[in-house]
Amino acid sequence: MKILAFDTSNKPLTVAVVCDGDVLASIESTEKKTHSVSLLPDIQQALKDSKLSMDEIDLIAVAQGPGSYTGVRIAVTVAKTLAFTLKKNLVGVSSLEVLAADGSEDKILVPLMDARNDNAFAGVYQYQDGELVNLIEDHHTSMEKLLDTLKQYESDKLEFINATEHLTDLIKDVYPEAMVMDTKDSLPEADKLAKLAENKPAVSDIDNFVPNYLRLTQAEHDWYQKGHKKDGNISYVEEV
Amino acid sequence: MKKDTLILSFESSCDETSVAVIKNGKEILSNIIATQIKSHQRFGGVVPEVASRHHVEEVTHCIELALDEAKVGYDDLDAVAVTYGPGLVGSLLIGIMAAKTVAFAHDLPLIKANHLAGHIYSANLVADLQYPFMALLVSGGHTEIVLVRAPGEFETLGDTRDDAVGEAYDKIGRVLGINYPAGKKVDEMAARGNDIFDFPRAMVQEDNLDFSFSGLKSSFINRVHHADQIHEELNKDDLAASFQGAVLDILSNKIFRALKQHPVKQLVVAGGVAANQGLRQRLKKDIEERNLDMDLIFPPLRLCGDNAAMIGAIAQIQYDKKDFADLTINADPSLDF
Ligand SMILES: Nc1ncnc2c1ncn2[C@@H]1O[C@H](COP(=O)(O)OP(=O)(O)O)[C@@H](O)[C@H]1O
Ligand SMILES: [Mg+2]
Repeated sequence: MKILAFDTSNKPLTVAVVCDGDVLASIESTEKKTHSVSLLPDIQQALKDSKLSMDEIDLIAVAQGPGSYTGVRIAVTVAKTLAFTLKKNLVGVSSLEVLAADGSEDKILVPLMDARNDNAFAGVYQYQDGELVNLIEDHHTSMEKLLDTLKQYESDKLEFINATEHLTDLIKDVYPEAMVMDTKDSLPEADKLAKLAENKPAVSDIDNFVPNYLRLTQAEHDWYQKGHKKDGNISYVEEV
Repeated sequence: MKKDTLILSFESSCDETSVAVIKNGKEILSNIIATQIKSHQRFGGVVPEVASRHHVEEVTHCIELALDEAKVGYDDLDAVAVTYGPGLVGSLLIGIMAAKTVAFAHDLPLIKANHLAGHIYSANLVADLQYPFMALLVSGGHTEIVLVRAPGEFETLGDTRDDAVGEAYDKIGRVLGINYPAGKKVDEMAARGNDIFDFPRAMVQEDNLDFSFSGLKSSFINRVHHADQIHEELNKDDLAASFQGAVLDILSNKIFRALKQHPVKQLVVAGGVAANQGLRQRLKKDIEERNLDMDLIFPPLRLCGDNAAMIGAIAQIQYDKKDFADLTINADPSLDF
C-alpha cells in the first residue's frame, strides 16, 4: 500500500511517502515555514523523490489535530480535498499520537501541545507489543489536572513529549524525575504517521471530515455559557 | 471560433463558502453558495475562527455540487481560480488550500483573484463591459470608486477614510435592534420612513473622491442615545430613512464627481450594498436628471454578495493574459488594487 502522509499541526511541517512500510520519501522542516505556502510544493517534491505520481497513491494520511487551529486546518483541507477529488482513501490520525510514536517503547508517553495559560492538549499512550495503544484520550486540560491524573502511573515511567519550556517547568515541579522531551526533540514524522494510519479505518464521509480541535471557539463557549442551546434542527450553514 | 474556457472558482474570504463553474467569464454553469450567516448571528457579527471552521466543513461538498450542477468533470476544466485577498486570513486559506489541491491533483493552471476585482466583474456576468468603465464598490469591508481602464486594469480614485458603508449599515442596525447583517432591513425601513433628522453628509463639499461614514454613524448613535435618555420615542423608519438619505447623498455626490472627471459609458455598482433598493433608484434617477448617456449596471442580488461566480469572471481575464499563479500562493488579507 502506498501512503502519502502529512502533518502541519504545529510549527514543523512533515510530508512522507511510504510504500508497504518502506519510506520512499520524507521531508521534514523544523524551521518555521509558512505551511500554507510550503505544503503543496512539499507534497509535490515528496512524490517526485519517491518517483510516484498522485494516481499511484492508495491512501492519504493526515494529522487531524489537536494543534494550531490554522495549522491543522491547512493539512486537513488539503487531505480531504485530495481524497475527494481523486477518490482516494483518507485516514485521520491524532497529532498527539504522531508525537507519541517517537517515544520510548517502555514508557508511559504523554504527548503535549501547549495551549497557553497553563493548559495543554494531551493524551496518554503506551507501546504494547510494538503497537501504540491509547490509554487516555486526547483532551484539552489544565496542566494541574493532567499532572494529577498521571499519579496513577509510576513517575519514573513517565515520558512527556513536546513540552515547551513553560510546560517543562510545570512538569518538573511535580515529577522531577520524569523524562521530558522539549519541542526541539519532539518533531512529528510523517512516515510514522503513515504507519499509524495503516491500522485505522478509512474515513467514510469525507465531506464531514474536520479537524479535532478538542476545543470550542471562545465565541461559542461564551454563547453556551450564557445559557443558549443549539436548537436541534438548526443548520448554521445553509446553501442559498 | 475560439474554444470555450471553463473555470472552477473558489471564494471563501469571509462567511460564505462558494464554488462555481464559469464559462468564458460570462456564463454561470453553477454557483454554489453556502452561507454561515445563521451561525454568526449568534455572536452579532462574523467570528473569524468560527468562519474558518465552517469553511472546512463545507468546501468539498460545494465542489461536488458545483461540478454536478454544471454537469462537467475535471477533464472539461481549463483552470482553477481562487480569491487570495482581501478578507479574513483563516477563511481565505481554506479556499486557497482547496483550490491549490484541485489544481495540483488535476494538473490545471491556478489563478489567484482579487476579491474586489471579482465584485466589479460580477457585472461581466450580466452585461458586455466597455472600457473604460467606472465602478462603485460598496460592501461590508469596502467603499471605493474604481476606474477600470482596460480588462483587469484598475485605478482606485476614491476610498473610505474610516468605516465602509456596509459596516456603517451594520453598526447603526445594531442600535436599531436589527440582527447582523442589517443592511437589507435598514433599506426596507428606509423605504417606509422620511429623512427628517438631517444627519451630516461628510466630505461632500470637498473636492476629492473619498468617503467618510464614521461621523454619520456617530451622529446617528448619539441621536438615538440622547432620545433614550430623555425618554423620547423616535420613529425607527424615519431614523433608517435619514441614515440612508445621508448615505445616498454622499455616494451620489462622489460618484458623479468621479464621472465628471472621467466620463464613461458604463457605471457598475457592485458589492453587498449594491443590493440596496434605495441606491438603485437614486442612481437611476440621478443619471436621468443629468441626461447622461451612460448605462447603469447593477448585478442581480445573488451576485452582489460574496460568490465564486464573480471570481470566475475576473479569472477569465487573467486566464486570457496567462496570468497564472503557482502552488506557493498565500492569503493576502489586506490586498487592494
Ligand atoms: N439592501 C442592502 N442595503 C444596504 N446594505 C446591504 C444590503 N444588503 C446587504 N448589505 C450589506 O452588505 C454587506 C455585505 O456585503 P459583502 O459584499 O458580503 O461584504 P464583504 O465581502 O465586504 O464583507 C453587509 O454589510 C450588509 O449589511
Ligand atoms: Mg465581498
